[in-house]
Amino acid sequence: MTDPTCKVNDLGIWLKKQMDEGKFETPRSRQQATEISGFLSEVCQGLAEEDHITAIMKRADFLASAGETAEIRGAGKKIISDVEENLEIFLGHIQTHTCPSGACPMLTPAPCQMACPAGIDIPSYLTLVGQGRYEEAIDVIRKDNPFPWVCGLVCTHPCEFMCVRARMDAPVAIMDMKGLAAEKAMSARQYKNPEPKPDNGHKICIIGAGPGGMTAAYYLALRGYRVTVIEALPVSGGMMMVGIPRYRLPREVIDREVAMIQDLGVEFRFNTRVGKDITVAALEQEGFEAYLLAIGAHGSYKLMIPGEDDFPQVITAVDFLLRVALGDHRPPGRRVAVIGGGNVAIDAARTSLRLGSEEVTILYRRTHDQMPAHHMEVVEAEEEGIQFSFLTIPKKIHGEDGRVTAIECVRAELSEPDASGRRRPVPVEGSNYELAVDTVIPAIGQEVNGSGLERFEDMRWTRRNTIQANTLSMETHQARVFAVGDAVTGPATVVEAIAGGKKAAHAIHRYFEGFPQPKFPRAPTRRGRMAFFQVPAALKADLKRVEMPLLGNERRRITFQQVRLGLDDTQARNEARRCLRCDVCIRCGRCVEICRDKMGINALELGYMDFDHPGKTDLKITAERCIACGACATNCPTGAMQMTDQGGMRVLSLCGTELNRLKLEYCEKCGAVIGPARYHDYIMRRIREISPKLAGKRVCLDCARQETGRRHVEMAPPEKE
Amino acid sequence: MSKYYLFHDQKKCIGCQACVVACKSRQNLPKGPFPSLLITIGPQWVGTRPQMAFAFMPCFQCENPWCVAACPTGAMQRRPEDGIIIVDPNVCVGCKTCMSACPWGSPQWNPETGKVVKCDSCYDRLEQGLQPACVTVCPTACLYFGTPDEIPEVRRERYARAMIHDGEQEN
Repeated sequence: MTDPTCKVNDLGIWLKKQMDEGKFETPRSRQQATEISGFLSEVCQGLAEEDHITAIMKRADFLASAGETAEIRGAGKKIISDVEENLEIFLGHIQTHTCPSGACPMLTPAPCQMACPAGIDIPSYLTLVGQGRYEEAIDVIRKDNPFPWVCGLVCTHPCEFMCVRARMDAPVAIMDMKGLAAEKAMSARQYKNPEPKPDNGHKICIIGAGPGGMTAAYYLALRGYRVTVIEALPVSGGMMMVGIPRYRLPREVIDREVAMIQDLGVEFRFNTRVGKDITVAALEQEGFEAYLLAIGAHGSYKLMIPGEDDFPQVITAVDFLLRVALGDHRPPGRRVAVIGGGNVAIDAARTSLRLGSEEVTILYRRTHDQMPAHHMEVVEAEEEGIQFSFLTIPKKIHGEDGRVTAIECVRAELSEPDASGRRRPVPVEGSNYELAVDTVIPAIGQEVNGSGLERFEDMRWTRRNTIQANTLSMETHQARVFAVGDAVTGPATVVEAIAGGKKAAHAIHRYFEGFPQPKFPRAPTRRGRMAFFQVPAALKADLKRVEMPLLGNERRRITFQQVRLGLDDTQARNEARRCLRCDVCIRCGRCVEICRDKMGINALELGYMDFDHPGKTDLKITAERCIACGACATNCPTGAMQMTDQGGMRVLSLCGTELNRLKLEYCEKCGAVIGPARYHDYIMRRIREISPKLAGKRVCLDCARQETGRRHVEMAPPEKE
Repeated sequence: MSKYYLFHDQKKCIGCQACVVACKSRQNLPKGPFPSLLITIGPQWVGTRPQMAFAFMPCFQCENPWCVAACPTGAMQRRPEDGIIIVDPNVCVGCKTCMSACPWGSPQWNPETGKVVKCDSCYDRLEQGLQPACVTVCPTACLYFGTPDEIPEVRRERYARAMIHDGEQEN
């Protein structure tokens, strides 16, 4: 929630207030103002087209120039200036159907979508996966991320950290659902590219075939650009291929998704390092008009301890994983020490184990809970028999005859929390000891290796030795040169690189079109508003998060077979039904408040809705208490809560979750629906005091009125002749 | 009852519905709700002639209103100063209990706002010294609004006239 108010919504509220106060006295101006108000409301509901802006401006112009009073003319001018100043926000509402401020209920994106760096419309694709419409799910995902299969297997899934369902039990398995969709669609040969726009003749050079570069290549190719990707390595995929081991991400997965990008006409040149195998001048000569640097962070930080540079058995995790990925399957050694606590350290350790190393130990200077590595990875590594030595700081690498024999470490203690609240490891004096190992793999961080880019003279580098780029447009200080991925962010995640690639593609397109670059972060785009799954409350509450089946541990320790075996259709069907559809229910809590505080019924126990103080959630209690008055549904700003009459029953549902179902009663006279007995009992209880002998007569409102009218009418006897 | 009384002289009413339209337009209501309604009875044979009659049905502004008792939010309230029953739209949550409680079907549902609307005797107009909207537009002047002592004794007068007329004929 970047901004608590929304400029579009604000303008609408302001205009309504002016109208209510009677500022638009003359019918002509009032008509114009009413129309503007209607258009603004459509923009806020995602029902607008770009013509709406023109229509608003036309009417505002009229008010500003031909308004009858100074006040009306002033209002017209204000509308014009508000729209002009915030054009990006207005257009954002129209194009993306999202309002990240949360001020426009119909356009408030789900927290998972907001958390996704690529901004994938997660609720929509989960619904499609749950319906078995895998290829459509892939289409939705690929609007924001051309690597659904890769990300379905190895994404750090920040979406799941924000998943609202986690406040009830556990987050929806968003990542695994994506993996399943990609696998199914690919297997059914239904994984398809959208139709690209016609060739526009512009030539773009992308340096680096990693997730960032290839994502930009994909979106640029779709827009009709001629894209060439230059890659130093003999394979595509970047760190996805040479950093992530095969047991997490099979090579076929990368190859198939890259092939999709190649199908769009993107040209790949492998074994070509810019500055060495080809010069920037040569690229210029080829006629490239813009460059995207996506070179990743393939350099390694050094341990800065004695012995580090003296032995060939000290190999950085990046180099080790690269070597293995390119086919060298010799074990690094028998007793391996991996230094570091991140995902790369875990990858290096588990890879060593699979190659045959007898004993693999991860040395980390902090504690288990402070490891930056993903929790599941740590658990799986532990299961496979990787040993961990926490609070351990390497001091020196010992060796004989050019071979490593041991690593000397010192134990550490955590300090008291410092000003930032972080507890730092402090070496314990005199606790030095030696661990007998024959191989040391440092995995303490990567850095960008920028050699070969010297020709981009105006480009600036940060203190961390990353490329300085505008985070909204990915422009560098060098004209026509953009940069994305780890080269800009430092070592990060696949999905962040993908997000950058997408931004860069948009920015490069804007550059060629002559549009100004964005001033605000682009909100994620709502790709649909899928129908709800109709699920009984008990099932919704009781469905547990799907458990990913894993490869047997024995096989995991000796092969590079995929560890996580994937979901099946039934699991996916159920998992999709766990989703709370936060793209529609914005958890404003109005329904809960009304039921509890206004109606005094308290039939909605939806504690998960409160972000700051999540309370108890009990979806099943509603059926016991709810009288089906419908006030919650009437006041729901997004249509998430609905009350409908179907098959003789009145049904209350929240995003398709059936919370209550009561038998309807009918008017004794005309047969019209008059609501369930529990509702009438509630009313009778309230008016018992003043009408103690009320008969249990059940007539509808219309009949009651007609009958009363009939009783009141004086049908006079005929006058005498 | 409120301190006011609305008298509908059914003899003079021609069923033109102007009152109903004025009522809806004053509250700017969409399709659906009729805070006041003109109920048409007949045509039916009365003796030897077909007859039609109209009953104007605003809110009766009950002395002991069930709608107010039924309303759980306090939106439906009886004004202490004049006994007119009004809905506060800022408090109403649209549970419709008042609608089901009222024996006469007076509270109506506004689907646009999701709230109840009802005849409030145009209390805002009364405060300005005006008559209710329905009364002002009646082309036959068959609606009278005021405190009970202000209402003309139309029916008694007519009855008296009829008696005298009958007597004259008999003589």
